[in-house]
This record gives sequence, structure tokens and C-alpha cells, in this order.
Amino acid sequence: MILDAHGHIGSWPDFLIPDPSAEGLIATMDEAGIVATGISDLLAVGPDAVEGNRRAFAAAAAHPGRFGVWQVYNPHHRTPLADAPGAWGVKLHPDVHRCRLDDPLYEPVWDLGLPVLAHGQTDSPWSSPEMFAAVATRRPEVPLLMGHAGLWPYGFRRAAEAVADHPSVLLEICGSKMTGRWVARLAALAGADRVVFGTDACFLDQRVGFGRVALAPLSEPDRALVQGGNLARVLGPRLVHRIGGTSA
Amino acid sequence: MPKSKPVRLVDAHRLVGPVPFDDLPEDPRPEMDRLGIERAYVTHTLSLYSDPRAGNEALLEFDDPRLVPVPVVVPGVPGAGEPGSVEEALGWGARLVRLCPERHRWELTGPTALRWLAALGLPVAVDFEETSPAQLLTLARSLPGLRILLLNPGYRRLRAIAELMTEIPGLWLEVGTVNTQGGVEWLAERFGAARLVFGTGAPVADDCGPRYLLDHLDLGQDDVDLIAAGSLEGLL
Repeated sequence: MILDAHGHIGSWPDFLIPDPSAEGLIATMDEAGIVATGISDLLAVGPDAVEGNRRAFAAAAAHPGRFGVWQVYNPHHRTPLADAPGAWGVKLHPDVHRCRLDDPLYEPVWDLGLPVLAHGQTDSPWSSPEMFAAVATRRPEVPLLMGHAGLWPYGFRRAAEAVADHPSVLLEICGSKMTGRWVARLAALAGADRVVFGTDACFLDQRVGFGRVALAPLSEPDRALVQGGNLARVLGPRLVHRIGGTSA
Repeated sequence: MPKSKPVRLVDAHRLVGPVPFDDLPEDPRPEMDRLGIERAYVTHTLSLYSDPRAGNEALLEFDDPRLVPVPVVVPGVPGAGEPGSVEEALGWGARLVRLCPERHRWELTGPTALRWLAALGLPVAVDFEETSPAQLLTLARSLPGLRILLLNPGYRRLRAIAELMTEIPGLWLEVGTVNTQGGVEWLAERFGAARLVFGTGAPVADDCGPRYLLDHLDLGQDDVDLIAAGSLEGLL
């Protein structure tokens, strides 16, 4: 079962996204055989988390079983969150919100206990991998996906090492600087059970992100873990709920 | 509807040799075999990360028709260029040369470069990060017959790229980094697949994702074949 952990719908200000629609994403998911994608609306990542989250839940409702929602939490706006049907968890973007991942303003998120997908960027003052380790030390019960596995190729190894002793943190691999070679390296460095497939669609083309894992020099058992097995483990019954009540 | 698969696949942008910042495959051929890439146009990493001349010499020693040399040209006054003269560059027999004006610190639209490029009469490849839209426009207007392959255009500057594609008929685009959702189809619809070229920038950049994308473009067989190999031949 192939699950895309990191997706979006909607537009973004600093470049043109030719197809920002949920329907376009469904079409590429069908093409690649991706069962479900976890999405947040880019409006929610930007200035209006409440309206963006509403849009994401509406898209999930319009395409039953195909989208899980990462509700965006804006720490400045104290965005209301809910363990609602359709939710996979919470999305944090410390760099856009200019709030360090280990800032106390995020305490309501950790208290909720849902899985969290957070943007991760090596050497960022807001989201460097060491901050994921700091959060995991304090809140090991919260599954935490490090978006982009540190983003920059020079930081991939550092990201794996920073969270090596924190099994609650998984490395999510989307990003325009990731390569199939590095996907295989991360699986070797961190363990294939700690690496999670994501694409950043529609921000990035879902086919490119999927191909990076589909054609990576991985063993087939490791590829299965990366492509969906690990995320299914993290989501647990939450995923079963999204696949129309059938065991995934 | 099943997607069209490319009949032939040529990578217009690949590197051979070591890079200083990572431990990457120095020989591109095993990965080319694994991904079904028939040929690649390659530049030697020594030309980029050490000495342009040493890289070109190492590149031109390869004797494998699957690895097509793309040597680096540094236009310069006597003693400052690589190679030493336009005539020497023409002696390489290359079909495409690479320009790195930022890396090698010379002016892409300066008088020396314009003289060299006019005399060479060859298509040139240049990384978008090595230049600017304004420089490319000036270059194209100064040398209207020049054919340019823009490497690594990325996805964040689609609007600027579209303007360049509109204004410069002699501009081709490497699509390996055009990876926002539907970006390649968007460009093909507006400018034609005949100006889009498959290339990866591997092993520094990814080849797996762009390779997969080629098999799953929402385009007809003719357009996919152009991007996979035909457009590059048109450029050359």
C-alpha cells in the first residue's frame, strides 16, 4: 500500500503551481497507485489556518479515503484543532510561522497527542533537526515526522544522526534536493523503518517524488516500508478509518 | 489511458567524476543502465570544481559513445581562457559546450564572450543559477542565431522562464528540475515539447524522479519522444 505522507492543495505566493487542485492530485495518485495522501491546504500554511483547514477537510470529504488531513497549527493564532474524522494529525511549519519547533507556543499540539508532520530544515533557526530531537526528548509519545529529512543534502546525514536515539521521529523525504540515491542512503543510515515517503505535491510534482522512491536503489521489503508501511504503522486505526473502514 | 513511454532516452545533463562535497558515483554508466538511459551528455566535474582545462582533458579521453562530451568553455583574452583559442575549442569536435560564467567569473554578455560564442557557432548549455533573465535576453539579442540549453531552471521561476521562452526562440529548457505539479505539461502546452529536453544533473541532482516522470507525462507519444531524445537533436 502506497501512502504519500506529505501533500498539499492550493496555491503558494512565490511561484506558479500549474495544477493546485485536489482533483489533479487524485489523478496523479491514481496514475502512481498511491492509495492516500496526507494534505494540508497551502492557505492554512500561510495566513489563514482556520479557512485552509476547512478546505482540506472539505477536499477529504469530497474524495472519501483518498486524503488524510494534516491540520495546520499556527502558534500565533492558537488555531483550534480537533481529533476529527479524516484527520491524520497536525502540520507545523516553523519557518513560515517564524516560531522554533521547540517553542512552548506549540505545547497545545503536543498535548493533543496526534501525529505531527513538521517542516524540517537543517541550519534553519526555526526547524533544524536538533530541535526535533529536543521535542522528542520532552514528548516521546508524540509521533513526529521530520518533513524533508532536513531539506538540504548536506544535512541529510546530520538529520538521521540527530534523531537516531529518538524512535518517535521519522524522516519524511520529500523535497526538490532529495535524490533516489539519498533515499537509499537514509534507509541504510537510519533504518528503512524510520524513513517515510512524501512528495510535497502539489507544491512539487507528485510523480517526481514518487518516482524518486519507486526507482531508488532499495530492496523491495525496504521500499514497501518507506512507501507506506511505516506511515501505516504511525497512523494505526486512523488510517483504517480513512480507507473506508477496511483494514489497510 | 496508458501513458506513452519514450522509445529512446538521452540525458542531456550529467556529470562524470568526483565532487568535493559528497561521495557520489563518479561513473554515470551503472545508473544509466539501471534507469534505461541510452546516452548522456556529460561534463567532467574537474571542470566545475577544480580546473576547466584538466576537466576537459579528462573528459575528452573518454572513448565511449554513450558518454558524449560537453566540455566547458571559458571565453577570455589570451592567457585567461579555456581553451586558449576558439580554434582549439572547435578542434574538440563537440556538439555542445557548457558555460559557467558565475563559477568561472566572466561576463556572459561581455565583448569577449560575444566574440567567442559568435566564432564558435555551437549550442551552449548554461545553468540558470549561473546567469539571469536579463543576461539571457541580452545574449540572445546580441547573437540571434545562438542556441541555448538552459540547465536546472527549477520550478520557482516558471513565470520568468515562460517570458524567456516567449522572447528567445533559440532557448531550450532542461526539464529535470521543473517539478511542480504539472509543470512540464504546462510548458509543453505553451512552447511545444520540441523545446523541452530531458536532463537530470545527476548524480548531484536526482535522476530517479525525472526518469519516472517521463514515463507518466500527460502528453502524447510524439511529445514524450521529443522530450526524451528528439528535442536535444533539434537543438544540436
